[in-house]
Amino acid sequence: MSAKDQDRLLGHAQDNDGIDEYDNALPTWWLGILWGSIAFAIVYVVDYHFVSDRSQVATYEAEVAAAPQASSASAAPLVITPEVLAAGKAVYDANCMACHGPELKGSVGPDLVDATWIHGGTLAQITETITKGVPEKGMLTWGPILGPEKVAQVAAFVHGAGGGQ
Amino acid sequence: MSHDPPTYDDLSVRRFITATVLWGIVGMLVGVVLALQLAWWPANLGLPWTSFGRLRPLHTNAVIFAFTGNALFAGIYYSMQRLLKVRMWSDRLSSFHFWGWQAIIVSAAVTLPLGMTQSKEYAELIWPVDLAIAVVWVAFAINFFGTIAIRKVRHLYVAIWFYMSMVITIAVLHIVNNLAMPATLTRSYPVFSGMTDALVQWWYGHNAVGFLLTTPILGLMYYFLPRAAERPVYSYRLSIIHFWGLVFLYIWAGPHHLLYSALPDWAQTLGMVFSIMLLAPSWGGMLNGLLTLRGAWDRLRTDPVLKFFVVGITFYGMSTFEGPMMSIRTVNALSHYTDWTIAHVHQGALGWVGMTMFGMLYWLAPRVWNRPLHSVSAATTHFWLATVGIVLYIVSMWVAGVTQGLMWRAITPDGLLQYPNFLDTLTALKPFYWIRVVGGTMYLAGMVLLAWNLWRTAHPSARSLTPTATVEAA
Repeated sequence: MSAKDQDRLLGHAQDNDGIDEYDNALPTWWLGILWGSIAFAIVYVVDYHFVSDRSQVATYEAEVAAAPQASSASAAPLVITPEVLAAGKAVYDANCMACHGPELKGSVGPDLVDATWIHGGTLAQITETITKGVPEKGMLTWGPILGPEKVAQVAAFVHGAGGGQ
Repeated sequence: MSHDPPTYDDLSVRRFITATVLWGIVGMLVGVVLALQLAWWPANLGLPWTSFGRLRPLHTNAVIFAFTGNALFAGIYYSMQRLLKVRMWSDRLSSFHFWGWQAIIVSAAVTLPLGMTQSKEYAELIWPVDLAIAVVWVAFAINFFGTIAIRKVRHLYVAIWFYMSMVITIAVLHIVNNLAMPATLTRSYPVFSGMTDALVQWWYGHNAVGFLLTTPILGLMYYFLPRAAERPVYSYRLSIIHFWGLVFLYIWAGPHHLLYSALPDWAQTLGMVFSIMLLAPSWGGMLNGLLTLRGAWDRLRTDPVLKFFVVGITFYGMSTFEGPMMSIRTVNALSHYTDWTIAHVHQGALGWVGMTMFGMLYWLAPRVWNRPLHSVSAATTHFWLATVGIVLYIVSMWVAGVTQGLMWRAITPDGLLQYPNFLDTLTALKPFYWIRVVGGTMYLAGMVLLAWNLWRTAHPSARSLTPTATVEAA
């Protein structure tokens, strides 16, 4: 911008209720942001969609493949001892009691000590139900929250207390 | 009423200012109650009508449509008549616009606490109210364009372009997003479903921010800032380019609310890159505002109006920098659904909209009531209360938001969630929620001070009354 253009009034004050306007040039650094952000937009679109596949499905699959296989270890054999059952009760009291009740008789969640096992009453089935949850009914997927060891303990506790099959 | 030709309709301006102040106090008071509920749950009072889920839309609707809406109309009615050198086209429509808009606000204040909602953010109001909004808005649009049609000047000043962008775009957004099939008087089904509905909702939601809380406020800035500073606008060229940049780019940015959702990747990308390109046009408005003050900076020491404008415009620059950053996928993965978003919107609402509107009201009220401002020092106190209140609010919510986002994604070496219980995050956030209560209360206190100051400005005879009685009356 040449110095003579700086602060040249347009003479709009008559029309604009006394407000006149200069016609100063656009600041160079502002133009830099304008063109820079447009260039970034183009590069980003080309890279994201056409060069490297960074779509959310591809990202998700890559993360799942790289994640530690926490839930697959849930089938590890467990010897049921009084210590394991006590640990299972502690896990139950901290996580399950809110919905299944202090006496396991159910409130929000189903009764665990009646004769009915909605999702199967064997130790393996109970372990599976706790691990994967029943999301459509509000039962959380506890596997990734508790980890395989605590799931096995609480499954043993519920199986024992509820007279599982 | 002045007898100088042409005579302007300042009655509508005074009415809209009064409504702005009243609804502003209501909207901000509900905001403080909500902040308290999050820090201290008994504030829900155990009643369905006062629970967080029902009061929250009341707060957002009151602040956006009642406080900001009425303030915009006050400023637009005042400035457009003077910029076009003609009285509003139809006094009857002006009056209908004012009373219709207040009736809509009252119906919102009744239906929302009763739990009547269509569950769309910032578009919660049920279909009969939506219909009323459309009718009142179109009446305003007819009056607005009628006034432009009979104007006495050829050149349309930049402020008028910005107002026009609001009048047209808000009508389109409101009508399309609320298209629904009524089932009963209070219930309806949207014509769009699933992801389409979500996309239309955020096209509406983001552009409500763009065309109700941004472009008209910029228009008001272009009128009231040069008037208050008595300086020419810095650059006509910049105003043209940033205006067209803003209105063209804004309308595409909505999908950034749906990053990492079922929305197709290409549409998410579109929302993100258009948000990033929005930075320069937004900063064009900030630059034109701040650079217009060249030669008037010394007046900042004494003039509360300019103080409010400068801080408002600075917050505009900050929040329009933060917005594009938050729309970047990787940043959004951390910030989305956290209190960071709350910090961002309040930077815009309290910082940009609130402060700019306060500056405008302090400049406008003495002119439409033909009295000097009752207390400049009270206005300065309001300025500091509001500024410190905003800083407390925003900083606490930034810290809370980042804490929350980091806790949600924290993973143990075994690949398990480190904080599986949601309560863990809430316990960590509690101190920040209390800081927000303090910041919000300071902002509300400033608003009450403004009400008292404007009341005393409009009713100088009240000086003989006791101060407490005056506050209550305000």
